[in-house]
Amino acid sequence: MSAGRVEDVHPIVVEHKSHFNKPRHVKYWLRCLKTYLPQQYQSTDSNRTMLAFFTLAALDLLDSLKPNTTPEEREQYIDWVYLCQHPDGGFRGFPGSDLGEHRNEENKVWDPANVAGTYFAFCMLAILEDDFGRVNKKACLTWLRRVQRPDGSFGETVGEEGKVEGGMDPRFGYMAMGIRWFLRGRATGDVMGVPDVDADKLVECVRISQTYDGGISEAPFHEAHGGFTYCALAALSFAGHLPKPGENSSAGLSDVNHTIAWLVSRQTATLEEEDLLDTYGDETDTIATCHDAHSFVAMKGFRDTKNGKDSFDDRPTSNYHLQWVGFNGRCNKIADTCYSWWVGASLSLLDKVSLASPDPNRHYLLDKTQHIVGGFGKVAGNPPDLYHSFLGLAALSVMGLEKELKPIDATVCISTDACTHLAKLPWRVENLG
Amino acid sequence: MLEKMAKYSNAEEWADIVPIPQDDGPGQPLAAIAYSDDYVEAMSYLRAVMANNEMSERALHLTEDIIRMNPAHYTVWLYRSRILFATSSSLPAEITWLNTIALKYQKNYQIWHHRHTIVDALNSCTGEQDFLSQMFELDMKNYHVWSYRQWLVKRFDLWEGKGELEAVESILERDVRNNSAWNHRWYLVFGRGESCFEDKERVRREVDYAKEAIHLAPQNQSPWNYIRGLIRQTKGPAALSLASFKQFASEFASLDDPDNVTSSHALDLLAEILAEREGDAADAAKALDLLAKKYDPIRENYWKYRKSLLVGQGGVKAAA
Repeated sequence: MSAGRVEDVHPIVVEHKSHFNKPRHVKYWLRCLKTYLPQQYQSTDSNRTMLAFFTLAALDLLDSLKPNTTPEEREQYIDWVYLCQHPDGGFRGFPGSDLGEHRNEENKVWDPANVAGTYFAFCMLAILEDDFGRVNKKACLTWLRRVQRPDGSFGETVGEEGKVEGGMDPRFGYMAMGIRWFLRGRATGDVMGVPDVDADKLVECVRISQTYDGGISEAPFHEAHGGFTYCALAALSFAGHLPKPGENSSAGLSDVNHTIAWLVSRQTATLEEEDLLDTYGDETDTIATCHDAHSFVAMKGFRDTKNGKDSFDDRPTSNYHLQWVGFNGRCNKIADTCYSWWVGASLSLLDKVSLASPDPNRHYLLDKTQHIVGGFGKVAGNPPDLYHSFLGLAALSVMGLEKELKPIDATVCISTDACTHLAKLPWRVENLG
Repeated sequence: MLEKMAKYSNAEEWADIVPIPQDDGPGQPLAAIAYSDDYVEAMSYLRAVMANNEMSERALHLTEDIIRMNPAHYTVWLYRSRILFATSSSLPAEITWLNTIALKYQKNYQIWHHRHTIVDALNSCTGEQDFLSQMFELDMKNYHVWSYRQWLVKRFDLWEGKGELEAVESILERDVRNNSAWNHRWYLVFGRGESCFEDKERVRREVDYAKEAIHLAPQNQSPWNYIRGLIRQTKGPAALSLASFKQFASEFASLDDPDNVTSSHALDLLAEILAEREGDAADAAKALDLLAKKYDPIRENYWKYRKSLLVGQGGVKAAA
């Protein structure tokens, strides 16, 4: 009776070809670029620079930005990015907070520069091959110091009486270290007459946010999370504090192997919400409802229950389900397109993409969440949205799973082409030596 | 169009305000959104009252209007809390309103940041645990809610005897795989200081709790992670050795009976225990092979990597 239950499933099967539908993706993103986004995006209006970044970065990864836009159009995009620049340094997250000529000392607190807005603005300028000539670099670096809290973490904006607003959140730490890197590279000390932020303190914030299971969370004792783990590792990467090859720890990361174990554990064949349910409470659900390795172990009670027998008779083999493997963001959650990026890029930062199962992840992204109109949805069968559509492409690129995409820089989250453009800018070469 | 725009521009109450339209620049904007007319109008009035630093009830209503359309607006929340305090508005009423918004926009974190501000000012957490239970009815793993709950525990000293541990246990009774609940348990038990990791009684209770959960569902990763966390972090008189879990792991994964492994996580732990002793490296390699080929082939490459680390220790030669 247990025969077939614990069959040797090695090697992972089968002739399987998934199709990356490049023309559809290009069409989806050109629609985002050149027509209005649907009204549902109104609820993310304050993150318009992020939506704009997804659009340009996706078309760039698809190598379809320049072929589909005129130099005049690209100039206008650059102008729009600069429109979001804040008079006191940094960039707004969206033009909607701009008080324009009505802005004064008393009301300016309602119209602040925003860390995410600034980071995405710089990414867009690099993608659009701007020279950063209109960036008020010195004011930006001065402002950046004000967004850091005494404990080393970064917030989102500077509020009343200099109070740092926004959650304790490695997303802001990541993007703040990114802004620093864009303008300062890895230079320490004064640049353009502005002292550095306290990078060591931020590194310490990352270290204390590591969890008992090897992941990283938003703050000490919070639950390990794929997105926060990426942001923390990428912040360390920007700061030059990732462990060097062969080292198992660094100032920011106490145990690389523990973190790697957590990252590879995010791979899951549990792809749909209903599959999370253990229907009978005895772990005898079908292979189709497998809990990660669930389907491969001889389960407790399997031999004794009718449910167990019913579940496994006449079901497809384990090998069949191993063709589609996604990543989840937290233990015991289902796969989600965006975590192929957050976790895949984290592995890439640690130079360990090879430890994941890349092909089944490619099948998952292309067969399950790639949408027929282009773009990617969050989970199997969902309609596409900008966030998942970009991160789906980014994931395929960072794990080297799709040759029709440009390579992406796992730290900066833009194409290596765009990074190369930035590296060649004369002011940057001069400033950073 | 004018009919639809009536809410502010046709209202007598707002007649003194000159709205400030959005400036999207002269050229082609990026990420232009097909805004509703209501939103365009409300935002224009919001900019105008913000520019005037107006602290009034009508401005408070306007922020509510904006929040319902764009809850992620990062300064409207700050503006709202300034108005609340400036006009000495009822904070309990604010919490009641916030409950409806939180239930509607579950993925928004500004809501929780705002709640934090208000509850902190109220200096009371009455009703908070009940409301969090209501949130959990919609999503037992809502990250914002769990993060807020940690703050609540610390701010109002709910560590022990205030129903927190009981609440976690009841959530785990409903779903023993809820990793957020496991994480909250860890926080409650160990979040008060390093000395908790030296408390033998406390550690023994936690080991027993996790073991019991594993017996219920051996393939559930959460309690295995919990136990391995305990092994890593306990110290002093409460320190746990890896080797002391060999027998427990063997209940679910024995190399003598490789066809009847009931938990890949037990096999993983066993491999780690065996890898500690050079003489057991051959057995560790066997366990890792079983994981790669039979019990956890999704992570085949990772198990092979783990095996290569054994070779690096020079222990696997005997097995080869």
